[in-house]
Amino acid sequence: MPATGTFPEIPLFDLRLAPEDIEAGAETLRSGWLTLGPRTQAFEEAFAAQLGARHAVAVSSCTAALHLAYLAAGVGPGDEVIVPSFTMAATASAVLYCGGTPVFADILGRHDLSIDPAKVEARIGPKTKAVCVVHFAGYPGKIAELRDLCDRHGLALIEDVAHAPSATVDGRKLGTWGMAGAFSFFSNKILSSGEGGLLATDDDAVAELARSLRSQAMTSGTWSRHTGATSTYDVVGLGFNYRIDEMHSALLLSRLARLEADIERRRELTRTYRRELGRIDGLIVPYRDEEVEYSSCYVFPVLVEDKDRWEHVRDFLRNERGIQTSLFYPAVHRFSAYVERRGEQSLPHTELASETELTIPMFPHMTAEQQERVVTAFEEALA
Amino acid sequence: MAWQIPLTELTIGEDDVAAVVQCLEEGWLTMGPRVDEFEQGVAAFCGTPHGAAVNCGTAALHLACRALGLGPGDEVIVPALTFVASVNAPRYVGATPVLCDTASPTDMNLSVESVEPQITDRTRAVIAVHFCGYPADVVGLRELCDSRGIMLIEDAAQGIGAVVSEDGRKAGSVGQAGCLSFFSKKQLFVGEGGMVLTSDEEIDKKVRLLRSHGMSASTWDRHRGYGYSYDVVDVGYNFRLDEPRAALGLSRLGKLQTGIEARRRTVKLYRELLADVPGVELTWSDEQVERSSHFAFPILLDDAEACDAVRTGLADRGIQTTRYPVIHGFSEYRRLAPMGSLPFSETAAARHCALPLSASTIETEVEQVVEAVKSVASTLAGARP
Repeated sequence: MPATGTFPEIPLFDLRLAPEDIEAGAETLRSGWLTLGPRTQAFEEAFAAQLGARHAVAVSSCTAALHLAYLAAGVGPGDEVIVPSFTMAATASAVLYCGGTPVFADILGRHDLSIDPAKVEARIGPKTKAVCVVHFAGYPGKIAELRDLCDRHGLALIEDVAHAPSATVDGRKLGTWGMAGAFSFFSNKILSSGEGGLLATDDDAVAELARSLRSQAMTSGTWSRHTGATSTYDVVGLGFNYRIDEMHSALLLSRLARLEADIERRRELTRTYRRELGRIDGLIVPYRDEEVEYSSCYVFPVLVEDKDRWEHVRDFLRNERGIQTSLFYPAVHRFSAYVERRGEQSLPHTELASETELTIPMFPHMTAEQQERVVTAFEEALA
Repeated sequence: MAWQIPLTELTIGEDDVAAVVQCLEEGWLTMGPRVDEFEQGVAAFCGTPHGAAVNCGTAALHLACRALGLGPGDEVIVPALTFVASVNAPRYVGATPVLCDTASPTDMNLSVESVEPQITDRTRAVIAVHFCGYPADVVGLRELCDSRGIMLIEDAAQGIGAVVSEDGRKAGSVGQAGCLSFFSKKQLFVGEGGMVLTSDEEIDKKVRLLRSHGMSASTWDRHRGYGYSYDVVDVGYNFRLDEPRAALGLSRLGKLQTGIEARRRTVKLYRELLADVPGVELTWSDEQVERSSHFAFPILLDDAEACDAVRTGLADRGIQTTRYPVIHGFSEYRRLAPMGSLPFSETAAARHCALPLSASTIETEVEQVVEAVKSVASTLAGARP
């Protein structure tokens, strides 16, 4: 089946924009102003307010946000950043962009796929500058412990919140616990616009640096020259073009209004999946029922108990039942590019998880019948 | 403030809006069929076999440097008069930018004569910018580079569609790689976007790999069932262009040549009306006007003071202008060259002022701008002994 390139009957995600989102995008095009301007500012203000952060700096991707966060943490050549390997590669590659070295720490296990604070502590050395926690699938990592650990060692804590907008710990949203939080608006994300990202922070200096570096470290932008506020500019550092554009900001601002409702729907779907899939022998459903209400439930990960059966389950779902699954994630430390740089390393929990994980379809308009088909397919595959 | 005549104005048609709306309604937003089609369309327009879309011109330059294998210890010759991204790009890969003077104050591009003395044993590449849309002599530069065993990158961020040779070759098709920008003020705009053009399949493959994290399979491939997992075979980035922007770009691409022609007509009118104005010097030649794709229209005033006076005088009349500072005038780049060492670029930077220019600029606007320039210039002339 893979060779034929057919579309799955039940896709992993299925983005549907509301008519008002599309109208907001169309209005922006008609306005004729497409680069950083009033819509981006409005989105940033709304996002910061909803998050409870002082600053929100919208950028072109979460990767860009991570890069800026590490730079703001002072990461440079010779510095190390402790990151999980059970993540999308950007968490680690953004460290390399700064000239630093990503040092991988293992996750807690197959019941909690987030970075293990004890393993983080064991990796702290004289070159460590920062720690990055990924709130996997929308479930909070051990943020309080990590915050404490980083404070004790004088390290910057960066949150990779790509999966977890609006998830909370003790009523406080993720992305506000560390020095900076990096959000993603990639097309398969909860709050999506195609490509996009955002850096949130309470630190004025971090926000200022991020704003400067996202637009070539120029002291004024096109919009401020258009409005007559400035007529020329200086370049005061090595910046980048990490700008988001106005159409994306307009889409995001429109969609932000429904973020909580969208997450609530994902929580319902998650509870159903947990109830139904939790009964199946040979399948591990990570996290606990009580954690669902604090999670943004971005995706639904399951792990096949016996790693030798993983391939069969995956193929059965796809080829026999038309159900798309994905692997979140192959272990970063095992990618060729990282083995070349860092050599072989052992992270047993990460390796086992990455050999047995399956992320299964979940999107707000998923029907009960579709969910049932997914559950039945697992029952059949593992029978 | 609202400019009566802004520097650039984007007119987006209902057909352009409809193309984006259709894409948003379909709901597939990350790199997919529209990006493919946009790449093929732009590459065909520019006359190269390959075009890899990225999320901005800066990313295009960055990936061109990576794909050409530039790195620490390598020197890259760049013009001293350009947008700062041309100079940042070599630094992203650890290489060293070396500033080079332009051909003259009125031909603000690199030339064979200006580049040749700058080539050292460490020089690996030249980045030639088609400044303001006017074609640099990339055919001559390519010959020079070939003879010295170094590479040529064309920064065509401002020069899409400019004609660079007698036989009609387009900007971006002569160097090993050509970089385009689709920033919102560009002749072909999508908001933020860019592309790497090349005739070299290996360069194209490398750019495609690096623009999406060095991953061996994309989301679109996996959606269609090609490949369940992937390897990361190199340290890449997220420099992807998405489908809504590709939809806009595709719709605009059909109007690109008409837009360039409209800009050229406007520039010719400006040149005709400004030809004999005391204190105003035109840039480039009539022949180069025929070949330019006209991103911007810079004129030279007598000196920096006159330039400021014209900019202020025009701003008072609601007319927006701009100017490009010289690279070694920026705090970040002072260390690259002492002021006075690159006289043509410095003179051009100090004395130029770019007047409003869009595909939609109308005759009466040109007349209004010219009247304003004349009025300020004559006041200046009167104030001088």
